[in-house]
Amino acid sequence: MSDQNTLMDRRRFLKGIATVAGTAAVGALIEACAPAATSAPTTAPAANTIAPAATSAPAATAAPTAAPTVLKQTGNVKIGLILGYSSVYAALGESITNAMQLYFDSVGGSAGGRKIDLVKEDEENNPQVALRKLSKLLDQDKVDIFSGVISSAVALALRDPLHEAKIPSLVSNAGANDVTRKAKSPYIFRTSFSNWQVSAPMGPYAADKVSKKIVVVAADYAAGHEDANSFMETFKKAGGTVLGEVYPPFPNTDYSPYLPKIKDLKPEAIFAFFSGSDAVNFIKQFSDFGLAKDIKITCPGFLVEQDVLPAQGKAALGAISVLHWAYGLDNAENKKFIADFKAKYNKDADVFAVQGFDTARVIVEAMNAVQGDLSNKQKFLDAIKAVKFNSPRGAFVFDPATQNPIQTMYFREVREVDGKLQNVVIGKTDQPVADPGA
Amino acid sequence: MSSRRLLSFTLALAILILLIALPAFASTFIVKTLTEVLIFGILAMSLDLLLGYTGLVSFGHAAFFGMGAYATGYLAKNLSPNIVVVMPLALLIVAAAALVIGFFSIRVSGVYFLMLTLAFGQMIYALAERWTDVTGGSNGLSSLPRPLIELGSARIEFDDVNARYFLVLAFFLLSYAALWWMVHAQFGRVLIGIRENEPRLRAIGYNTSRFKLLAFVIAGVFAGVAGALYAGFNRFVSTSDVYWTQSGQVLIMVVIGGAGTLLGPVLGAGMILILQNIISSATERWQTIMGLLFIGFVFAARNGVMGLLKQIFQISNFKFQIVKPKSESEVSNLKSKI
Amino acid sequence: MSLDFLLIQFLNGLQSALLLFLLAAGLSIIFGMMDVMNLAHGSFYMLGAYIGLSLVRAFGNFWLALLIAPLVVGALGFIVERVLLRPLKGRGHLDQVLLTFGLALVALDFTHATWGANILSLQPPPELAGSLPLGPVQYPLMRLFVIVMGLLLAAVLGLIVSRTRIGAIVRAGVADAQMVGGLGINISLIFSIVFAVGAALAAFGGVIAAPVVGLKLGMDAETLIAALIVVVVGGLGTLRGAFWGSLLIGEADNFGRALLPDYALLSVYVIMAAILLLRPTGLFGKKT
Repeated sequence: MSDQNTLMDRRRFLKGIATVAGTAAVGALIEACAPAATSAPTTAPAANTIAPAATSAPAATAAPTAAPTVLKQTGNVKIGLILGYSSVYAALGESITNAMQLYFDSVGGSAGGRKIDLVKEDEENNPQVALRKLSKLLDQDKVDIFSGVISSAVALALRDPLHEAKIPSLVSNAGANDVTRKAKSPYIFRTSFSNWQVSAPMGPYAADKVSKKIVVVAADYAAGHEDANSFMETFKKAGGTVLGEVYPPFPNTDYSPYLPKIKDLKPEAIFAFFSGSDAVNFIKQFSDFGLAKDIKITCPGFLVEQDVLPAQGKAALGAISVLHWAYGLDNAENKKFIADFKAKYNKDADVFAVQGFDTARVIVEAMNAVQGDLSNKQKFLDAIKAVKFNSPRGAFVFDPATQNPIQTMYFREVREVDGKLQNVVIGKTDQPVADPGA
Repeated sequence: MSSRRLLSFTLALAILILLIALPAFASTFIVKTLTEVLIFGILAMSLDLLLGYTGLVSFGHAAFFGMGAYATGYLAKNLSPNIVVVMPLALLIVAAAALVIGFFSIRVSGVYFLMLTLAFGQMIYALAERWTDVTGGSNGLSSLPRPLIELGSARIEFDDVNARYFLVLAFFLLSYAALWWMVHAQFGRVLIGIRENEPRLRAIGYNTSRFKLLAFVIAGVFAGVAGALYAGFNRFVSTSDVYWTQSGQVLIMVVIGGAGTLLGPVLGAGMILILQNIISSATERWQTIMGLLFIGFVFAARNGVMGLLKQIFQISNFKFQIVKPKSESEVSNLKSKI
Repeated sequence: MSLDFLLIQFLNGLQSALLLFLLAAGLSIIFGMMDVMNLAHGSFYMLGAYIGLSLVRAFGNFWLALLIAPLVVGALGFIVERVLLRPLKGRGHLDQVLLTFGLALVALDFTHATWGANILSLQPPPELAGSLPLGPVQYPLMRLFVIVMGLLLAAVLGLIVSRTRIGAIVRAGVADAQMVGGLGINISLIFSIVFAVGAALAAFGGVIAAPVVGLKLGMDAETLIAALIVVVVGGLGTLRGAFWGSLLIGEADNFGRALLPDYALLSVYVIMAAILLLRPTGLFGKKT
């Protein structure tokens, strides 16, 4: 309330000065040329220009000054999304967005009595661009809630501006441990996973069920090293021996220089971290060069997730992975989710879709809990923290300490089910897994 | 003062006043956007010193931009956020690197120069990816402190959008003035001479290599200035700041804006940043639209935005001129040429 | 380090080298002859791969795709040269850079819109699906096929350039295009044909690369940069340079990755820089 009023006053005051200075016309011109003109539709129709000085203010403040709070709380709620929509990460961004849309549609496109507006921006896998887009979402679109981000670098870049703007935010993919450790913020939640979560549980499992002699192969960048280190830590503790570590560059198309080396180390299994096209090439070439015959693959689930599995084909058969979800997971929510997703988009759901679906659900449930009133930020943040529901991945609950989900991790194996490759659940962690947070 | 000079003087003054008064009436978003445009404007102008004036097409300019950003970011985090301390140090590092890279690069020319600078740029990129302790690797250098100036007892903190805008505006104006002075001095004439006909310049006794190296280092330092400001603006530095796509983007800014003019690249920077922002917000097919724009631009505007502006001005001038009919022979002469 | 290991790495290097050659050959000749800096060359490679995939899906025949995709892309190249590049004659490299960069953006987005953002793969034809035992590992037949096709095409191109009339015109064109025009030869048609053949070669490379490295958005830029490196290392405008440049870069990159993985991002750039500093116009380039 007070924020709104001071904003109004300042705006008017400055407008007055500007008019005196005789530059109001130029100002209006710049405002008119600004991206506002072409951005996503605003809630209130732009006022027609009869008295330019009075109506050139943005829609939100054009309403009667007496009740700005009321307007704010009954108008649409704006959710800003920054996700990859072009080039390499587009598949992930599209999947997350589609699933969010699916959930929002299932609740009539509104939450806490307010209609939901999505404002989508392309992350372009570039922190520079994402920062620019965030500034548009915050300063111009004035979004109430932020969500998104595929890349960890982008998540870390956006952290400070989100934290300072005090915008309730939900990270729906980026897995860097730091997002919910060193860089954690009371305003930032993560609905996806931490790199530690998708690799550490494989240590004891691999040592116990697969092999104690393993070579670690991981893409040579932050996420690859985080995954490799988390795995090695728990694997060694469980009595396993790491025969060697191989770090191909990231990204990379040809793994043939590294395959003979892996073979030379004579492992019984490997722990491999790759995703996207790297994952496809690695799995295919691992099989093409004949390594798959007697070396088992263990990995974080991204290596053989639904987004890459069709392209990998039978080369992926037998790979054992750990992830917070599996296509074949047997629960009612998952079955319904997979069927609904397929019906709407004619595509198979993947883990990214689950993350998007849950993100949307967290937003809606938290909005419902506060009856759509976001004016008390702390109340809303507490509501997010308290959200609990049965997700396609099982029980979804935030860790109050890190604001990262505490989730059951599933062990999966790529098998052929009814002529289709699928990650079949072959086990799960005894307890839901929480990121250690430090 | 001729009427034309008076016009451009008035125009420049109006723009200056507008730039200074802008935060008083424009929204935060516009101020931020303009801040970024000015930063990239400095970067584009610095590349233009090489590309437009000296005729050296560098495809590795992001190296200096990124180095300026990384050095500033690292020092701000570990030494002091005081610009007065950090900026000179950062620029010294950039200058040293530019001296070494330039020393080797100017030995080749044309496309070979372009590719050699790309190679050096990618080496710096690899360094940024691998030297994780300093650069943060692929996760980037994050949570940088806000820039401030501390000189004796005077202390200015740039923790507000407008303050940062004025800081960048000041650096932009200084850079523009410095570069303007350079290209209009004897130095600039030598550079243009190198672009037009290097052997001739060498024949009359100029050590052109030395001039090219100097231009390379100066361009690098100004790119470093842009990088340093960018680190303070984003408070984040990532490997994409040193990647070849960044070099490519600046190159496009200069070409779109009009190489060989200082203002052109700034307009190019503004056009690319603002258009891309608007178009990519409006449609997922933004790449197609940007691509078509570039293609259309090549045909519609020879010599970039500046060329287009000049054309428009000339066309409007033509209205007042009486065009004399050409003589028969002249016309037929022209026809045969076509 | 065993002999087997070296042999396998050598074959890997050869395979990626010959794939690069298919792009670099066109790029280099186009540059040498027409003075065109073509940043859309990687797009021809990418389009070749994706169109090939669609053809395989439609007709279930890899060989047919290998024949038709390059023809389609070649025709596209012909049109691009006629309609877009020709009017830019004499305008310098910067305009070409802007134009072809714009084209590459459009091609990338077109590919995204048409084939989607997911990573796709193309199965090798049944004849090439297996692999040969080779020391500690097996060597995929598809990769051997790439090597054979690369060598074959290199030989054919070499013969065409050195032994035929059209080859003589191309060589003369590289040396002095204006003079060739003056001899009453329809140089503009030759330009278009060379450009189309370059595009077709790149597309051919795309089709045979698809079963080896898959299809993804962004494969265009990756390959373009590598091919540009080859072109300058070999020297602009020479087929011989493109060939030896590819071999050098392909092998160096492969051995660099295998032996010094920590410096994998660097090896090709270091080699390019070293060669340019020793020979400022590449291995076989004209002295300026």
